[in-house]
Amino acid sequence: MGRIAADTSRKRIHRYYDYSLLFLTLFLVCFGLVMIYSTSSYNAQRVYRNPTHYLEKQALFAGVGILIMLFISKIDYRLYFKSIKKIRINMVILLYVLCLFLQIYVLIFGEVVNGAKRWISLGSLGKFQPSELTKIAVILFTAYIVNMAPRKLDKFTGFLRVLLFISPLLGLIVVENFSTALIICIIMVAICFIASKKKAYFIISGVALAAVGFLFIYFVSYRSERIAVWLNVETEPKGYQILQGLYAIASGGIFGKGLGESMQKLGFIPESHNDMIFSVICEELGLFGAIALILLFILFIWRIFIIAINAPDLLGGLIATGVLAHIASQVLINIAVVTNTIPSTGITLPFISYGGSSVMVLLVEMGIVLSISNQIRVER
Amino acid sequence: MARNRTYNRKNIFIIMVMIMLAAAGLSVRLGYLMVFKSEEYAVRAQALHERERPIKAERGRIFDINGVEIAANKPVCTISVIHSQITEPERVISVLSSLLGLSEETVRKRVEKVSSIERIKSNVNKEVADKIREYDLDGVMVDEDYKRYYPYGSLASKVIGFTGSDNQGVIGLEVKYEEYLKGSPGTILTLTTAYGVEIENAAEDRIEPVPGHDLYISLDVNIQKYAEQAALKVMQSKNADNVKLIVMNPQDGRLYAMVNVPEFDLNDPYRLIDEIASQYEGMTLTDEQENILLNGMWRNACISDTYEPGSAFKIVTATAALEEGVVKLDDRFFCPGYKRVEDRTIRCHKAGGHGSQDFIQGIKNSCNPVFMEIGARVGVDNMYKHYRRLGLFEKTGIDLPGEANSIMHKKEIIKAVELATMSFGQSFQITPLQLLTSASAVVNGGRLVTPHFGVRTVSPDQSSIKELDYKITDNAVSKETSETMKMLLEEVVRDGTGRRAYLPGFRVGGKTATSEKLPRSSNKYISSFIGFAPADNPQVIALVLIDEPVGIYYGGTVAAPVIADLFDNILPYMGIEERYSEDDIQKFKVGSFTVPDFTGKTRKEVKDLLKIYDFGELYPIGDGDIVIEQFPLPGESVNRDSPLVLYYGGG
Repeated sequence: MGRIAADTSRKRIHRYYDYSLLFLTLFLVCFGLVMIYSTSSYNAQRVYRNPTHYLEKQALFAGVGILIMLFISKIDYRLYFKSIKKIRINMVILLYVLCLFLQIYVLIFGEVVNGAKRWISLGSLGKFQPSELTKIAVILFTAYIVNMAPRKLDKFTGFLRVLLFISPLLGLIVVENFSTALIICIIMVAICFIASKKKAYFIISGVALAAVGFLFIYFVSYRSERIAVWLNVETEPKGYQILQGLYAIASGGIFGKGLGESMQKLGFIPESHNDMIFSVICEELGLFGAIALILLFILFIWRIFIIAINAPDLLGGLIATGVLAHIASQVLINIAVVTNTIPSTGITLPFISYGGSSVMVLLVEMGIVLSISNQIRVER
Repeated sequence: MARNRTYNRKNIFIIMVMIMLAAAGLSVRLGYLMVFKSEEYAVRAQALHERERPIKAERGRIFDINGVEIAANKPVCTISVIHSQITEPERVISVLSSLLGLSEETVRKRVEKVSSIERIKSNVNKEVADKIREYDLDGVMVDEDYKRYYPYGSLASKVIGFTGSDNQGVIGLEVKYEEYLKGSPGTILTLTTAYGVEIENAAEDRIEPVPGHDLYISLDVNIQKYAEQAALKVMQSKNADNVKLIVMNPQDGRLYAMVNVPEFDLNDPYRLIDEIASQYEGMTLTDEQENILLNGMWRNACISDTYEPGSAFKIVTATAALEEGVVKLDDRFFCPGYKRVEDRTIRCHKAGGHGSQDFIQGIKNSCNPVFMEIGARVGVDNMYKHYRRLGLFEKTGIDLPGEANSIMHKKEIIKAVELATMSFGQSFQITPLQLLTSASAVVNGGRLVTPHFGVRTVSPDQSSIKELDYKITDNAVSKETSETMKMLLEEVVRDGTGRRAYLPGFRVGGKTATSEKLPRSSNKYISSFIGFAPADNPQVIALVLIDEPVGIYYGGTVAAPVIADLFDNILPYMGIEERYSEDDIQKFKVGSFTVPDFTGKTRKEVKDLLKIYDFGELYPIGDGDIVIEQFPLPGESVNRDSPLVLYYGGG
């Protein structure tokens, strides 16, 4: 026994840290900056007389985001779920309440951009989109609730309980931002799915969700219009942006026109550095570049998957899966939209599309995933 | 703390598999778009990016018979601004408004207008454009262009014509030869952004413009100038409405000059000339009224207006009579001052009548009863046959737009009275050019020519030269009749009604005419004269029409001297040598002699010498008695009547 104990103690226990995921993240962020410069320089020059206007802002957020990510990755994620002594509630609940407050605030005082009330002005710092923060809150909060009683998820009522907790946030977001609400739903369902042993009701609830989505699409005029655009992208006047994106993708061909050589970014695709950035990537880097980027994302998601299945506890697994679901759903929906595979909805391509709040939130999430990886103990 | 169980891991794996399937699906979709749809969409995208910008072709130039440029192109520039490229709007506004002479607000409006490209001013002089270029302002474009330019201003304005804003011909030869002159514009295919801004260094497809062909015409700038001066002189001295003057080579129809004074300035064709503008002074004209006036100003009356030719038409009547053999030169006629035709009395222009005369005297006197008589002898059918042969029922076919045709009676309704009036050029209308063409056929041996200006077109690189051909119809008049008519018309000028066109040293033939303008009660006239030289072998034929002269209006008095004046200038210029007859030398003191030596002679001796030599004015200078110097120098050959200068000294 003694010998065995001695052998065990001699085995050095390592704290793991997923450097490949870290480098993948940094690579994606840098690639994103390159593409933002490529797509936005023309419009930045035209509007702000400074070709690096968008690049500078994005680089600032990305830089700060990376520092925050590295900091968070060294904190044990379980800390967030421990009650703070004096007030007896944990940080996740506080975050949840904060998000509720911000979502109500934005509905009343929010700044309207392109007809949607989604932003809170931060003065000279720019604009902040609280729905991005809500995504972290939903990942953490859902994982928290599910982790409290994972067995309840075997039944449909258990799922409804989770839905009940999330619905206040969901309800506030869906009013102004259907796409984010959709992502939040996907995150929530994915986390619940992992915890449950029985899955039949997911099919039922999936159908129910589809029905709700259908109602939303058909009873809100601008959404049913999007269906019409999707079906007749070449003739509908509102299909302009998508059609221009398709022109860009198609004119890329197999090897693309070369970095920076896109024609479609020169005003033909409005705000090509936002949602439509993938179409410019296709035009400049071709089918090879586009597939390489998709493979890069798959590799990236694969690393999160590895962390999720090796997480030291269910909570870590749930959180990692939430992040995975978040990033994967955004990548897939974004690419599906620019290729006109599904009706248009405003979802950005993670790490690549322009957006300060978005890249910050994603990097915070990566920090949490890295911190989960850091809690994995490996014997050597 | 709950553990991460196997089924949890399995669930995560299910999600991962779903993601990878979706990613694979999207990759397939991408492959479809980028490989199979690529061509279709890429072509459409390319169409969006490309803009065609036309490059103007340089218009062919027009040269006169001696190769003098009469319609040229001068380089001008178009100044435009591209709103999105302007970096210093205030500087752009101040530079452009001061250099282009535009008000600041006009320039400001265009500079600040959000459009892809805005034209500030076209037809800007090259020097001004170069100055603007030197400022090197962002967003200011200077495009080279051509503007039509007429070095001689108003010369032959209604013949040459001018071009419009797109350099297309508007009137005259510029319209007629548009196909040759215009060339074909080229294009630059450029890539532009969605805002229409051209991308620099992008591959351009360029189709070069092909310049137009040059046109060489038979007009002679010098003859045209002489003709315009002569026409202007008579217009002013007779206070006439307008004067038309056509000069042509009767052998082949080449037109040397075509004058319609007052002419207008081809470099400023949309400004009413003073002659017209003064009539409407103080009035504000509507656009429509101004358009009508401009069209009137541009009208080439020599070919577009018809008139009653009057006595000049007796050339045609006489020709018809000679051709039909119904009159001989020694046939006798009696003119009591009128002739009764059916129930009408038609008067001769000479109230007392010309009395007894032969046919030669009849034509020299331009006696109406003689021509009524021979017209009646020819008859309607034969008369119309000869009209037709002389081209009076058809347009002449001149290479100018807007030619009018004659207005003739229907043959069926012509009775004796109509035939009688037609015989001396009344009750029908023809254009001046038709009369000139018919008369040419009469004096050139019977060939009906097509009057024309265009001689040849030459491609810019001289590789393609096209000589222009015109129809000539032979045997419109027999050779014999032609010879007789030349003789008769020379007689008219020698001592008939056309004697004021007599030019010593040259054989000039011609016919006068005084046409009453309709209505006849208005007492307005057109005085005209048609003349040709040399009478034995005509090299030039000219017709002058003086519209509404004030005072004396007889063609022989007013119009004949104009042709004499013109011929006096242009015949030597055309290389037709003077051949003086004995009479001429006597009458007009022409001829030359050798200057004798006056030096050393006394005043008395000089006086005797001058009786022998035909000097003109004498200019004695100095107080002495002996000639010390003289001009012209001894031994020089001088014309008779030349002045003589003598310097006296000594004594």
